[in-house]
Amino acid sequence: MGKIALMIRQIRQNKGIDAPFELTPDTSLREDLGFDSFDLAELTVRIEDEFGIDVFETGIVENVFDICEKLNLK
Amino acid sequence: MNVLLTGVSRGLGAQICEVLLREGHSVYGVSRARSEVVSRFESDFGGRFFFRCADLSSPDDARRAVFCDEFVGNRVPLGGFVSNAAQAYGDLVSNISPARLESMFAVNVFSPMLFTKYAIRNALFNGSQCSIVHISSISAHTGYKGLAMYAASKAAMEAFSQSTAREWGGRGIRSNAVAPGFMQTQMSSALSPEQRDKICARASLKRLTDATSVAETVAFLLSPKASSITGQCICVDCGAV
Repeated sequence: MGKIALMIRQIRQNKGIDAPFELTPDTSLREDLGFDSFDLAELTVRIEDEFGIDVFETGIVENVFDICEKLNLK
Repeated sequence: MNVLLTGVSRGLGAQICEVLLREGHSVYGVSRARSEVVSRFESDFGGRFFFRCADLSSPDDARRAVFCDEFVGNRVPLGGFVSNAAQAYGDLVSNISPARLESMFAVNVFSPMLFTKYAIRNALFNGSQCSIVHISSISAHTGYKGLAMYAASKAAMEAFSQSTAREWGGRGIRSNAVAPGFMQTQMSSALSPEQRDKICARASLKRLTDATSVAETVAFLLSPKASSITGQCICVDCGAV
């Protein structure tokens, strides 16, 4: 989870968003973190590089819970 | 920069590779089989030329062979991707063979699309400003008897390239096509002297297209000199009309 948070922080910083954020299972990638499709694509690439799993390949990912489920993270 | 180039073993691909290596770039060359020219690149440009065998008629297998840690993984930031490998399929529309059509589209369309996907993902990971060049063909612009299916595969990639440019321009990724006229390569070796004469007569410069000129155009589009060019198709065809 810590690794995911770091990736999200980096993508947000690249977009010029420095505000702190909280990650809960319900955190929406689009609504709460301000990600658009291109940010989600970048997050996919970073997660795949770290975990070897393409989280968006098998369906829509809306929130942090969806990512954790696909990566089998608790 | 690191450039991924398909169809490196002969013809235009070998010319493009030669130009890029001479300019000092590193080339990750892909081809179905090794060739003498591949061995020459390895001996003349060791350390900057890397080769991988992959059969683009099986797109997903080819993608796995190329975009992996042993070849073009995320630790190799791609500055360019040149989709050059292609299969020619000439016949009358009334003779279309579904199997040959599928095989040609796998090489000319599905694999280039899949490779583009992973080139973009590589660029996203590295934050690099990748330049993509698809080798199209004059046949996508001007009708040629017997080339309808081949022309359709090339036109598909031109449309794909234009939308890729629009979609990814915000991330600094450029995509262009180069449409060469008929060159003296193995792919056009099936032409009869009469057909060749006819093609030359249609060109403003009255000759076949020089592959080096096409290769130099590709190198230009990859370079920062072309930093404001995206979504275009550059015809390098001796002025065919």
